[in-house]
Amino acid sequence: MTEALIGFIAIFVLALLRVPLAFGMGLVGIVGIGLTRSWVAALASTAQVVHETGFAYTLSVIPLFILMGNFVAKAGLAHELFHAAYVFIGHLRGGLAHATIAACAGFGAICGSSIATAATMSKVAYPSMKKLGYSDSLSTGVIAAGGTLGIMIPPSTIMVIYGIVTETNIGKLFAAGVLPGLLTALLLMTAVVIVTSRDPEHAPAGEKFNWSERWKALRGIWGVLLLVIVVLGGIYGGFFTATEGAGIGAAGAFLFAVGRRALTLRSTLDVLIESARTTAMLFTLLIAATIFANFVNFTTMPGDLKDWITHLGLSPVMIVGAMMVIYILLGTVMEELTMVLLTIPLFFPIVVALGFDPVWFGVLIVMVIQIGLISPPVGMNLFVINTLLPKVGLGNIFRGVWPFVVVQIITLGILLAFPSLSLWLPSFMK
Amino acid sequence: MSKHLETICGLLAGIALFGIMALTFFDVAGRKFLSHSITGSLELTELLMVIVIFAALPLVSLRGEHVVFDSLDHVLPKAVRTVQQVLVQGICGAALLGLGYLMWQTGGNFLESGETTAQLAILKAPFIYGMSVLCVITGLVHLRFMAKPSQANEDGDGGTL
Repeated sequence: MTEALIGFIAIFVLALLRVPLAFGMGLVGIVGIGLTRSWVAALASTAQVVHETGFAYTLSVIPLFILMGNFVAKAGLAHELFHAAYVFIGHLRGGLAHATIAACAGFGAICGSSIATAATMSKVAYPSMKKLGYSDSLSTGVIAAGGTLGIMIPPSTIMVIYGIVTETNIGKLFAAGVLPGLLTALLLMTAVVIVTSRDPEHAPAGEKFNWSERWKALRGIWGVLLLVIVVLGGIYGGFFTATEGAGIGAAGAFLFAVGRRALTLRSTLDVLIESARTTAMLFTLLIAATIFANFVNFTTMPGDLKDWITHLGLSPVMIVGAMMVIYILLGTVMEELTMVLLTIPLFFPIVVALGFDPVWFGVLIVMVIQIGLISPPVGMNLFVINTLLPKVGLGNIFRGVWPFVVVQIITLGILLAFPSLSLWLPSFMK
Repeated sequence: MSKHLETICGLLAGIALFGIMALTFFDVAGRKFLSHSITGSLELTELLMVIVIFAALPLVSLRGEHVVFDSLDHVLPKAVRTVQQVLVQGICGAALLGLGYLMWQTGGNFLESGETTAQLAILKAPFIYGMSVLCVITGLVHLRFMAKPSQANEDGDGGTL
């Protein structure tokens, strides 16, 4: 128990010293195994983890989904999605804000990254909102919160990583994210209604469109619909595995971007290299987290913690609820992926021992990450928007986003209280 | 120098990733519609994955895209930040050189046992040696930043999620 505790403290100290988290986790893991077992074991297991993570067919799902999202972003489909959403619901009060959330949900169905979704929407939705006189804080808050739908609505990079680390079925995780994603979108829109009722001047309604214009706009997004149906439908229907679906999706997005003349040889290579860089960075984290988890699993900490918590006599849901509170607090100051990779070796065995479905816990994890990504002071979505729209200022973004943070915490509560929201769709899968 | 490194590693990683995409696409399409899959596509994907990950690693380090906790940056005086950078780059460089050495030994073990992939019988050792070389190159990138901390790029925000 003590050894693992010292390990965790060492990682935090190294992180504070600005050592990249992957290096901190990996080094602590190796030294930990070296001191508690033997140095030969430490080096042998490190070489094995690096080699096995490198040569892993199933892990190719990660770069392929990243690639799919990047090709889709390059293809400029986000404009059509935003337009289609706008002609349907733009005439409501705060119509552009609603359209942004709907477009984010649509974009989330072909892109597995929250940051990419927020970044794309900053370019697409913000100029329109600015033109109609929306306040900066509302527009950026909506984009930041809407962007997080990218990781709940499948495909989702974080679900893939959770699935790999915990050996949970990725296809089931994807299916589980659909209803919670739609619920989040709905509740975010409700938040827009409440916020704009207090300040209607800064969120005017747009024009109303007739049905022929609406059908025309829908025709503009056939490519998105086709990709979603083929990739997610294929995985859900058991027609192919998540890895195969990711390959089909990436190739489909590539062909689509080529068809729209959105790609040159140069920009294709740029997309490929950018995706490879993200992959390399994720894999360094993944390798380091595995080494660290190996060390933690050698110690008595996971077992001790499990015994201690199960003997407290708390109700199981309360224990998971307490974990969520810890995640929300950590998420305000920590990078979310690292937070999850560090805590999974401790929390996951407890959740399984309490008899909960790992798929449900995965959805909860994604939800706390969504909250972490938009909760000040350290929220990646907020920083990305701040970089892309420097004139708005972080203060404005912080002010605009908090109602949505509250709404997402409420959503988390609902998902915690009603597991069937997450587990109903996966229950039809083989 | 770093320009050449970016070009070579970028091309390697980019083309390998395109290869994985095309391979998966044609393999699945062939299997589902023509009931004919590509022989050894699984193991080719595995070998290409190694190239994608390890060829892109020097690029991640060159651009400073590893996930770091940087919230203290603006409160630390410049001199302290410089010392910190030298230390951190040194730690990363040393760790990667060590890993490179470890993987070189592992490559040697694989060469000795002559382990190959199952279907196409491709020798695995060269790929593990490749991992080792690219780890060493990445380590050297960090050591160069250690010598010239002002050149280190720290703006990369590591946007993964």
